[in-house]
Amino acid sequence: MATLVQSSLHFTNLSPPPPSLSLPLSSISLSSTSSLSSSSSISLSHRSLSSSSRNLSLSSLTVKAAVASEKKKVLIVNTNSGGHAVIGFYFAKELLGSGHEVTVLTVGDEGSDKMKKPPFSRFSEIVEGGGKTVWGDVGAIGTVLEGLTFDVVLDNNGKDLDTVKPVADWAKSSGAGQFLFISSAGIYKLTEEPPHVEGDTVKADAGHVAVEKYLSEVFGNWASFRPQYMIGSGNNKDCEEWFFDRIVRGRPVPIPGSGMQLTNISHVRDLSSMLTKAVENPTAASGNIFNCVSDRAVTLNGMAKLCAQAAGLPVEIVHYDPKSIGSDAKKAFPFRNMHFYAEPRAAKDILGWKSSTNLPEDLKERFEEYVKIGRDKKTIKFDIDDKILESLKLPVAV
Amino acid sequence: MAGGVAAVQHNFKSHPSLSLLPSSQSTFCGTKFITSVQYKRKVCQPKGALNVMASSSKKILVMGGTRFIGIFLSRLLVEEGHQVTLFTRGKAPVTQPLPGEADEAYNAFKSKILHLKGDRKDYDFVKTSLAAEGYDVVYDINGREAEEVEPILDALPNLEQYIYCSSAGVYLKSDLLPHREVDAVDPKSRHKGKLETEALLESKGVNYTSIRPVYIYGPLNYNPVEEWFFHRLKAGRPIPIPNSGLQVTQLGHVKDLAKAFIKVLGNEKASKQVYNISGDRYVTFDGLARACAKAGGFPEPELIHYNPKEFDFGKKKAFPFRDQHFFASVEKAKEELGIIPDYGLVEGLTDSYNLDFGRGTFRKEADFTTDDIILGKSLVLS
Repeated sequence: MATLVQSSLHFTNLSPPPPSLSLPLSSISLSSTSSLSSSSSISLSHRSLSSSSRNLSLSSLTVKAAVASEKKKVLIVNTNSGGHAVIGFYFAKELLGSGHEVTVLTVGDEGSDKMKKPPFSRFSEIVEGGGKTVWGDVGAIGTVLEGLTFDVVLDNNGKDLDTVKPVADWAKSSGAGQFLFISSAGIYKLTEEPPHVEGDTVKADAGHVAVEKYLSEVFGNWASFRPQYMIGSGNNKDCEEWFFDRIVRGRPVPIPGSGMQLTNISHVRDLSSMLTKAVENPTAASGNIFNCVSDRAVTLNGMAKLCAQAAGLPVEIVHYDPKSIGSDAKKAFPFRNMHFYAEPRAAKDILGWKSSTNLPEDLKERFEEYVKIGRDKKTIKFDIDDKILESLKLPVAV
Repeated sequence: MAGGVAAVQHNFKSHPSLSLLPSSQSTFCGTKFITSVQYKRKVCQPKGALNVMASSSKKILVMGGTRFIGIFLSRLLVEEGHQVTLFTRGKAPVTQPLPGEADEAYNAFKSKILHLKGDRKDYDFVKTSLAAEGYDVVYDINGREAEEVEPILDALPNLEQYIYCSSAGVYLKSDLLPHREVDAVDPKSRHKGKLETEALLESKGVNYTSIRPVYIYGPLNYNPVEEWFFHRLKAGRPIPIPNSGLQVTQLGHVKDLAKAFIKVLGNEKASKQVYNISGDRYVTFDGLARACAKAGGFPEPELIHYNPKEFDFGKKKAFPFRDQHFFASVEKAKEELGIIPDYGLVEGLTDSYNLDFGRGTFRKEADFTTDDIILGKSLVLS
């Protein structure tokens, strides 16, 4: 392990290593971002204590020759529900696989009912991979993580300054060098010229915008990631399942409007790999916004068709005017009824990141799991669907 | 740095404004155009990239070159110092001044351009005349069928590069967009001749580069793209748009296309490669109507959406775009060759308006027959 790391050594600045450390790891960490000079000595001493046992479990470590493969201590502050929960799960596992140290702080109580749902029900996988999982509230983060320090902190929880500020402030005061934030592509202002590209106008009153602004003022090295929709095993929120539920039961799939609306549905591994790139290329990532999405758009009609193809079943798509069902419209359909399409241009340009989402293939795997867990046999009520079909004077299945 | 370009380093603190290039908005003249080209070339080169610009003067043949793309391309080639011959039947004037072009610039261009008069479908003539002259590089701007390319290749065994204007119309319709160069193509498409040409070039082992534009626009456009909207805007008529108006398409300015053609010349990286070339943003049909209005200084137009299945327009086209999503990623050209379009949509449409329609020039007379059918007015038969 040590020899592998040594071969990728390159010094980009001339600050000398602290005299007490003899591990070759030390010199690499100093050759990366200059902002780490104050924290590096702390993190190195921590690392030297546990690195020997840590390294033994990293047989799958990949050495990125040109980039400093410095190992980081990463804290992921994770939401306890919703579409973004799964991001922290994949990111933790990918970091561990790359030899980094990971702690996941999930907001709330370990014993709550929320923790019985994926991905939390699978957090043992993080522990088995060598990571730590803790629970607590962000308001008390200093107490929850007392005595711990990290190189990188990812906030995958807050949507506004009230929730993120305590995390950001604590991260800064405890010496974290890099702060990453999971924002949202939903903050982009509507455009008639898709796609949403980093730098485009955002909704000034969005909570995430205030967070991004605060981070840019307070953190030397920060980056914000704006995701859209995700698929992937361990997801906390339905995505493709919404289509499978209907297709597998031979029910029509009701899509608002023309179904031509473009959206971006990524496999969560794309988000995880982009975040990992940022951790491993902190200088490049610093000060940037990244659309955290795949590099293909799909129409709503297209998504229904692809889900059906993955299931090997036919699909009947019906279109309706959401105004005709009034207040049920929001609950009726899990995607925004408009073009909602961002492209990951900054990640490609700045981090050399590549998308691997392949919806036709990925949805096959998703369908296999859907059946494996028996969801195709589950009894589901389709009250709103029935309302829609009635309004369209279409037959309602028994 | 010009506005509306693809994302580079972004700093949250500075809100990059989409500022319009002032030089292109008002008068166009050959010299101004050339200056901006040189500036943009510097900016476009990615750091550390080996951009092999053609430093030596080449003997270049342009198949076509007198109608639209070629008019801009040939000027750039002459400006670069190459010896340029246009192969055309001579139906259109070999050279014509660009709107707003200074006499001096036009005359300098006119004095240098060469003309080879002939019909490219006369394969014997093509082979003989080309073999007699010998050319280093061929730009094939108007080729449609693979068989048109064979005599050219036969006549020029030492050809350095064959640069072909193909089309993004070759892509197979897909639920996953944008189209990328690696995507499946449609052997049954209306543009299969372009596909067959690309396949022929590949099979012959010649050093070729194929460019696939989407919808091209700009001054002197003979395809009624922006002109279609301008006619209606000028007449104060509502704009009839099929179905939802959410269909997403993509326009690329002809000047950006010409510059892309220059960028691939003598560029080893472009050898045997295909590139999508167009604007770096897409646009909905509704958005395009509004962008044209902005470009021409018209008030926001009334948009009428209709179901085309409810009408019979006979042979006439009621709308100038395919009624579907149709857009392609231009990332490959950007990443590999540093090709970044200069023009944003409104900016480019303004350039087109100021230099063409806004001066009272257009290619096709206004024909509102299908509009009136849609609007339920009485038919006006021509």
